[in-house]
Amino acid sequence: MTALLSTRNLHKTFGKKRSLVHAVNNVSLDVQAGECLAIVGESGSGKTTLANMLLGVYPQTSGEITLDGQQLPARRTLVHRRAIQLVQQNPLSSLNPRRSVGASVRLGLDVYGIGKPSERWRITEAALEEVGLPAAFRKRSPSALSGGQRQRVAIARALACQSRVVVLDEPTSALDVLVQARVLRLLDRLRRDKGLTYVFITHDLSVVRNIADRVAVFNAGVMVECSDTRRLFEAPQHSYTRSLIAAVPVVTEAEMQLRNTLAEESSK
Amino acid sequence: MTPVLAIENLHLGFKGYTGYTEVLHGISLSINPAERVALVGESGSGKSVTARIILGLLQEVRGATIRGELRFLQHDLNSIGTKHWRDLRGTRMSMIFQDPTSALNPVFTVGVQFIEVLRRGSAPLSEAAALSRASALLQSVSINDPERVLQAYPFQLSGGMNQRVMIAMALANNPALLIADEPGTALDVTVQAQTLDLMNQLVASHNTAMLFISHNLGVVREFADRIYVIYRGRIVEQGPTAAVFNDPGHPYTRALMAAVPRITGGGIADIPDTSDEFLQPCVNHGSAL
Repeated sequence: MTALLSTRNLHKTFGKKRSLVHAVNNVSLDVQAGECLAIVGESGSGKTTLANMLLGVYPQTSGEITLDGQQLPARRTLVHRRAIQLVQQNPLSSLNPRRSVGASVRLGLDVYGIGKPSERWRITEAALEEVGLPAAFRKRSPSALSGGQRQRVAIARALACQSRVVVLDEPTSALDVLVQARVLRLLDRLRRDKGLTYVFITHDLSVVRNIADRVAVFNAGVMVECSDTRRLFEAPQHSYTRSLIAAVPVVTEAEMQLRNTLAEESSK
Repeated sequence: MTPVLAIENLHLGFKGYTGYTEVLHGISLSINPAERVALVGESGSGKSVTARIILGLLQEVRGATIRGELRFLQHDLNSIGTKHWRDLRGTRMSMIFQDPTSALNPVFTVGVQFIEVLRRGSAPLSEAAALSRASALLQSVSINDPERVLQAYPFQLSGGMNQRVMIAMALANNPALLIADEPGTALDVTVQAQTLDLMNQLVASHNTAMLFISHNLGVVREFADRIYVIYRGRIVEQGPTAAVFNDPGHPYTRALMAAVPRITGGGIADIPDTSDEFLQPCVNHGSAL
């Protein structure tokens, strides 16, 4: 089976000569259609740089990215851009404060020419309803919504474009735990209902455990481990992965035990 | 034992265009010397305004009405004047804010800001003496090159580094009470774990009482001696950490606990937006002391 989205020997460097930084270093990974692949690592590990290359925000230094077997060019066409959509971390800064929520969602439809102009408000409202917001919200401004509602709008905006892949860059780390749980459930349901493919970027492994099919762990621009979610948590291979798991705040005794065993293994 | 902080039946309301809105409906909490107490609840539940009232920041906001008893050490906070209150802030009580990069002043170096804090606390201090004290304090928060950090501006340092600078500043004058408002939320998980560990050790060695504000019960578990759970301006459950975790009595506490994703898996909990159950009366586990 060929992967929906894949990268081969992807490199990205910033700066020159002495200040040269390898932000992403020789990364090859495959994302299958309909799966949720999590990209995990601490700040500065290259997660967001990878996402920006997948989205075509800036070109890679070397290596290639393919979608459905076709190589993606450095300058993306509308078709390419529509196929991969983004949900950012902070919905307050990713939504235009001067635009109503509905206008933000509709903008993608206008740019990509989805549906007839007369139908586009209807599509916008349907997208809002799909993420659990009333259709009447389309006239509101982002400042009149709560953090969780704003993030739902950002998700609706990505959905309305009927994209194949959604890149979620820390979609819940600006939200409190209760709102996070609701948004994660929504994302999970949408993926199943619509057959979406997610690239889920986060530093929170407890979220990953419950939403991802596979996990790729990044450290300093290098992919150090990539495996099934279950296997990664039960038998992490790399010491960096173990230290990441050991840093997660936990509430139950069973989790404490798992953390303690991992801590013992890494001290051996 | 006299508590460091005692709040009795605290009410807070705001006058606005739509009339009077009550935000806190009678909160009571107390913190003993060297005790670490957590105040846990979702956004909008009244955690941060409580911290701001203790510091006396909200009292100066027009339209805010505050009722209730506030005692800090031997002071009755309702009767002391603004000047006296200002003398207490940064010396006897101090605060660590959520986002360290925006809490530090971007146009002054860390050193200048540190000297300001130290000079508030003790008798006149020469610049050289203040700087050497500052660099000793930075070393105690695991900053290995304090001289470089003192000369740097906050935006030249990472989030974790800034947070450690904030912790060192907050503890510089040996306060009796430290308030930490979501100190790890702006940081990633590994840095958060290190920061919390460090804060824990320092608070223990300085004998500081601490009010720790968070929305994540997982973060609080290893950190607090006692927990207050707050929902919509009311305390809904309180007790020693172990008691609350082993036997959460209030439906809202259970929802809050279920909301933390488990590293052992099991999917994501389905939590209702509101429920009549959440408004049940407070569950009290008593005090450990």
